Amino acid sequence: MAELVLDINIRGWVFLPIVLITFLVGVIRHYVSLLITSQKKVELTQVQDSQVLIRSRMLRENGRYISKQGFYMRRHFFNNEENGYFKTQKRTVPAQTAMPDPSMMTEMLKGNITNVLPMVVIGGWINWMFSGFVTTKVPFPLTLRFKPMLQRGIELVSLDAAWVSSASWYFLNVFGLRSIYALVLGENNAADQSRLMQDQMSGAAMSMPIDPKVAFKAEWEALEISSHKWALADLDNEVLSVLMNKSNK
Amino acid sequence: MADNKESKETKFKDLVSYSEPALRNNASIVEYCRTSMSALSGCTAGILGLTGLYGFAFYIFSVFVLWGLILFKAGHLWQKYFLNRHSLLTGGFFSGLFTYVLFWTYPFFKIIISYI
Repeated sequence: MAELVLDINIRGWVFLPIVLITFLVGVIRHYVSLLITSQKKVELTQVQDSQVLIRSRMLRENGRYISKQGFYMRRHFFNNEENGYFKTQKRTVPAQTAMPDPSMMTEMLKGNITNVLPMVVIGGWINWMFSGFVTTKVPFPLTLRFKPMLQRGIELVSLDAAWVSSASWYFLNVFGLRSIYALVLGENNAADQSRLMQDQMSGAAMSMPIDPKVAFKAEWEALEISSHKWALADLDNEVLSVLMNKSNK
Repeated sequence: MADNKESKETKFKDLVSYSEPALRNNASIVEYCRTSMSALSGCTAGILGLTGLYGFAFYIFSVFVLWGLILFKAGHLWQKYFLNRHSLLTGGFFSGLFTYVLFWTYPFFKIIISYI
């Protein structure tokens, strides 16, 4: 099959601009979302709950380094039948009203502005502006099934599947630049479009507020079945052997 | 947790206790290294003009090289920094592959051009 020859202007005016636009739009999205997100209001009881849960988890994990008495004293504080913390604290479930409060609505709107709008606008613009170009070729052979995926906008039967059209090149960039954003902007950045797509697919875009009652119950159970095992029982022999080794050398 | 009798016999040196923030920090540093490595090796493969399976073999080769480098850096104390060795090798394989393919394709354009 004869090798296709691409005009050098395609590189200058289609190939590189798409890369640049994808990257810079990601950067802009990150900073815009930093600008317009408002600080979330946190309830005092929520902080208290999460801290208590963390303390209880640490007790379960690292309880072997404190004395038996200490461990059971702490467990008693959480789990005691009459006045243990997990028993006495009655948290009300966050109200599930039919109408979510207006602050939630504005948060969702802001999320849509930074996430969905650029994707639609920039994707559509690139589709319109750079439509119909064969931009590049991926350096490995692909089967015919990849043709509709990689050659969106070009309907040529005879074209080899490895060639990439401009619209598909944009999507390749969206996915491939994901880890570069983590490199440039730090972790947990807002530039990631592909994560949003995954969210939409799994339908987890709206997360439910966690119920402290359930979390307390689970933590109570986990703490109840954990018993103390003393990790440092053999410590004196251990220390002695280390010291002996040192003095022998 | 359930077998109480055995736990009395656990030796001090067998115990693993780790600090979670430090582990997370290590993991994120390794992730940075992996992204950089896949981008660099992708560029290298593109400039070398590797095609087809050779390119993918080169990616796997680069993953192994990075693994070796990290273990070399950690020295014989690698257990101090990471929980296990093989997750260092396999973690983030596919996200790295995406980056690799993208950077592999960038210089490839030049090679097509040079046919002119």
